[in-house]
Amino acid sequence: MTASLSPGALFGLCGAALVGIGLYAIVTHPGLLRRIVGCNILGAGIFLVFGAVARRGGGAGFEADPVPQALVITGIVVAFSASALAVALLKRLSELNVGERNGTAAPTEQRGRL
Amino acid sequence: MTPFAHATTPGGFLLVLAVILPVCAVLAIFACGPRSAARIAMTTLAAGLAIAIAIAVELIASGAALSYVVGAWRPPLGIALRADGLSGAMLVMTALVVVTVGLFARVQYGLHDGAGGGRAQTTFWLMLLALWSALNAVFVGEDLFNLYVALELLTFAAVPLVCLDGRAETVKAALRYLLFALVGSLLYLLGTGLIYGQYGTLDLLTLSRLSRQEPALSAALALMIVGLLAKAALFPLHLWLPPAHAGAPAPASAVLSALVVKAPVFLILRLVLDVAPPQAAAIAGQLLAVLGAASILFCSVMALRQARLKLMIAYSTVAQIGYLFIVFPLAAGSAELPPWGTIAWTGGALQLVSHALAKAAMFLAAGVIAEAFGHDRIADLGGFGRALPLSAAAFGLAGLSLMGIPPSGGFVAKCLLLTAAVIEGYPWLAATILAGGLLAGGYVFRVIDTALAIPAVPVAPRRPVPRRLELAALALAVAAVLLGLVPLRPFGLLQIGRDGLAMAGLP
Amino acid sequence: MTPAALLLAAALLFPLLLAIGCLSARFRARALSVLVAAPLPALAAAILVPEGRFAFFPQPFRLTLVLDQPGAILLGGAALLWSAAGAFAASSMTRDPAAPRFAVWWLLTLAGCLGLFLVGDVVNFYLLFTLASLAAYGLIIHEQSAAAHRAGVIYVVLALLAEAFLLIALVMLAATHPDANPPIRSVVADLPASPMRDGTVALLILGFALKMGLVPLHVWLPLAHPAAPTPASAVLSGVVVKAGVIGLIRFLPFEAGMPAWGAALIGLGIVTSCYGVVVGITQRRAKTVLAYSTVSQMGLLAVLLGVGLETADPDATNLAAYYAVHHTLVKGALFLGIGILAATGGRRLGLVLLLMAVLALSLGGLPLTSGALAKLATKPMLGYGWLAGAMTLAAAGSTALMVHFLLIVRRDAAGNPAMSPPIGQFAPWLVVLAASLVIPWSLYPAVSGETVASLLQPEALWKVTWPMLLGAVVMLFVDRLPRRLGLIPEGDIVVLAQAGAPLVRGLSNRIGEVDVNLRRWPVAGLGLIALAILLGGALMFRA
Repeated sequence: MTASLSPGALFGLCGAALVGIGLYAIVTHPGLLRRIVGCNILGAGIFLVFGAVARRGGGAGFEADPVPQALVITGIVVAFSASALAVALLKRLSELNVGERNGTAAPTEQRGRL
Repeated sequence: MTPFAHATTPGGFLLVLAVILPVCAVLAIFACGPRSAARIAMTTLAAGLAIAIAIAVELIASGAALSYVVGAWRPPLGIALRADGLSGAMLVMTALVVVTVGLFARVQYGLHDGAGGGRAQTTFWLMLLALWSALNAVFVGEDLFNLYVALELLTFAAVPLVCLDGRAETVKAALRYLLFALVGSLLYLLGTGLIYGQYGTLDLLTLSRLSRQEPALSAALALMIVGLLAKAALFPLHLWLPPAHAGAPAPASAVLSALVVKAPVFLILRLVLDVAPPQAAAIAGQLLAVLGAASILFCSVMALRQARLKLMIAYSTVAQIGYLFIVFPLAAGSAELPPWGTIAWTGGALQLVSHALAKAAMFLAAGVIAEAFGHDRIADLGGFGRALPLSAAAFGLAGLSLMGIPPSGGFVAKCLLLTAAVIEGYPWLAATILAGGLLAGGYVFRVIDTALAIPAVPVAPRRPVPRRLELAALALAVAAVLLGLVPLRPFGLLQIGRDGLAMAGLP
Repeated sequence: MTPAALLLAAALLFPLLLAIGCLSARFRARALSVLVAAPLPALAAAILVPEGRFAFFPQPFRLTLVLDQPGAILLGGAALLWSAAGAFAASSMTRDPAAPRFAVWWLLTLAGCLGLFLVGDVVNFYLLFTLASLAAYGLIIHEQSAAAHRAGVIYVVLALLAEAFLLIALVMLAATHPDANPPIRSVVADLPASPMRDGTVALLILGFALKMGLVPLHVWLPLAHPAAPTPASAVLSGVVVKAGVIGLIRFLPFEAGMPAWGAALIGLGIVTSCYGVVVGITQRRAKTVLAYSTVSQMGLLAVLLGVGLETADPDATNLAAYYAVHHTLVKGALFLGIGILAATGGRRLGLVLLLMAVLALSLGGLPLTSGALAKLATKPMLGYGWLAGAMTLAAAGSTALMVHFLLIVRRDAAGNPAMSPPIGQFAPWLVVLAASLVIPWSLYPAVSGETVASLLQPEALWKVTWPMLLGAVVMLFVDRLPRRLGLIPEGDIVVLAQAGAPLVRGLSNRIGEVDVNLRRWPVAGLGLIALAILLGGALMFRA
């Protein structure tokens, strides 16, 4: 079965599966950290789709299109910054909450619910 | 290359300047240290305003769109910047709001000098400049992926503005905003990937001539538009907006509500009208109009229910954004009249601009009120008009525009949309516009009635507020009212750079 | 630009300029004293500018001013009342610390009101209508009492509703016109052929009826007019309600006629005129009685316009304007008179009461007064059928209501100590009073086409006298009815509407709950995915 799948289609399907998992995690998990991780999974899935597009050659007609790879690299940088900003905010939030509750030590995830 | 490719026009470098200048200022602030942040920011604001006006003048003088092809690498490999009439209007509007908000913030921070707010102040200037650059990039961008980066930069600049004061609730609101916007932009990115996979280009101008009704394009457009809806906070995706916009400091709320939510709307407008195939756009336009109408009615009622002034203004933003989405079925156009030749298109664009001015004025006025009284509970503000007459006037004038009462930009916009609804035969949209105006009248009137009341115990300002602070809000409100003097017909500026598209769109 | 055009422009712009002048604190402090002068250019325009003159101001104002006969008649009467009431206010409100604010609202309302009688294009008509409507709110709540605030809130809600009806009606009128801001005359000429004709006319009548106070949209009027300071009540009841009258005059197609809508307007008018009398007779306060009398009189005006619309008779607009100017001056003088009576006692009281009686009975058609003239002028139009009978009954009702009013003011003023009203208030009152007696005489030949001598015939005198006697006799009986006073609360059916408040609050709370649910993260996340699927489906759908 696997042999009949072209690498592009395989990448695409994996990407789709990751997008699905990421969305599921983002929507259902109340914990903020898990949502951030969900976003990263979603992002990874999307980059895989870009990879599939590059492998197929896209509409530009190249054998292996380099443009999506450039896009993926930029996208990863952007997604990384987004995660960094989100984690920084989460950290700040947990510090503030700790300050408010006089140091009752509960796991970040439990407190950081929206 | 194809005959409709981009080519750099004489004034094209101005577009680069509009994007680059604020970034350079950000770098300069990092280099010179926070002490000079305000000074550098103010200089940049003046220069940026001049650039925006120069772009508008160049557009009107040449009557054609400005283009710039970065590094002379033509699309599909290279990236182009392009400003047509609508982009030009957006650039000028953005510059006006940013400059006025900057002046307001300068005066306000002047009041608190030495209060230890130095770090928040520097962050504000940095983020304001970064946000401006990102907005300009969105308005002149032609490349879908480039637009993704600009949108992300916009979000990254907007999120810290939400939690400038560092309280737990604002940090929470900021995080919620960031996460939801992130999901939205990831969906947009997925759509971009699909489009590239199908057509091998991300250039909007090229796409507008290629687009056919294909499943991949439909899926990609659906993902992109919904992602942008999440960022624009259209009902029912408005979960993040009220706490974020109401919790931010006044100048930040003003740019967030007036400008930041407009960027995704602007992109949706371009996607639906330029990229989507016409008959598909008609049905999708209906769906967007239903959401817009629901947004107007539902969130106007929510605005009426709010006890806090800033929350009320924030809900009003969601409601007013709804008007921009009912444009789609009304501006569907016909064989002889392209969408951008319709009065609904002009009405939508005017609504965009007049709402930006009016909403910024309202948030700044609310900021003055919070500055003077230390809170923004409407019920406890009885008679504030006596203490802050200019702010009450600014709020009232901005309210006129939101309600659609003449003479104001909001009136002209709503009048054009109503006329379009009557001519095109959409009675339910006409009824929605009227009901939205009535509800807006309700929430604006509630504040005005409070301002004019003479309570038994008159409210006294906690501290005196300088006149200059109030003037910023008033200036924006007056600008929103003066927009009402534009003619009641399709507006020439908005059609610049559109004609070429119309020609090429024909088979 | 011709002198006539300049004068027309000044009529509109002078009060606006004065209002802008109030931005300066020094000017604002003395603003009360300029109120008397603000409407003078309008008065001059009404007298001096020949009919049919117009002025056009190009972009960006896009303003057209025209002066036709009904407009000139209404403008003259309204400007006179505004000026006199302004003088009255300058004298009566000198000690009011909030007077400068009052003056600003006054000037804005004045500019809107007088401009309405002149403006000839659709957009500016709407603009001035809005200005007059919204600025009047400041006059109503001026005294800041709880009653004034309640009246103000109800007024604003209904005024905004009227704006909404009017806006959509005007958009429907002008939608198919090539010009973005067409002249009123040309859109109204196109109206009978419009596919949206009936909807447009219904919305126009709804919007203007709200402003005029036709039943059941009259509820704001008996609340708002008594709540305002006396000079403001005079202009609210005398002039501001006429915004609805001039609207109907301008926008209904009297030349083409619309029998069905004419009949509807007649029906609405008759119901209103009877309703105003019946409810008015149960009221305790003089100002409220006068407000209900205004409701009733607006009903009569609606009947006149309805007849004109039914029979396609453009002259009806002139007669309606004539009737309206009689009502403007008399009602204005009556409201100001309440202020005079409150400051009068002793020897002079008898004289003032006598003059008040003449004014009040003029509304019922007292021979030789403007009321009799107005009724005689409109009589031929109404014919001799059931409609004339109904109008006669209405005159009898008006008389009864005015007798009730006179009894109230006599009782109220009976205990006053000996004093005489300040000359600053007394003189303007006398001016309006004299004008109400003189002006209708001078206009009569032009409007009715008959000579003044015909008015003095015994037959003509008897025609107006017997309904009055009937009314007086009715009042003798009504006055003996027990528990009549206070039977119906002020604002009558608004009390019923307020019973619906819990329902509205419940709905609003429900929306609040829905919002809380929608803003929960999982719900919004699912919404996002669902929307993406829906939108994808919509885009793939091949129509």
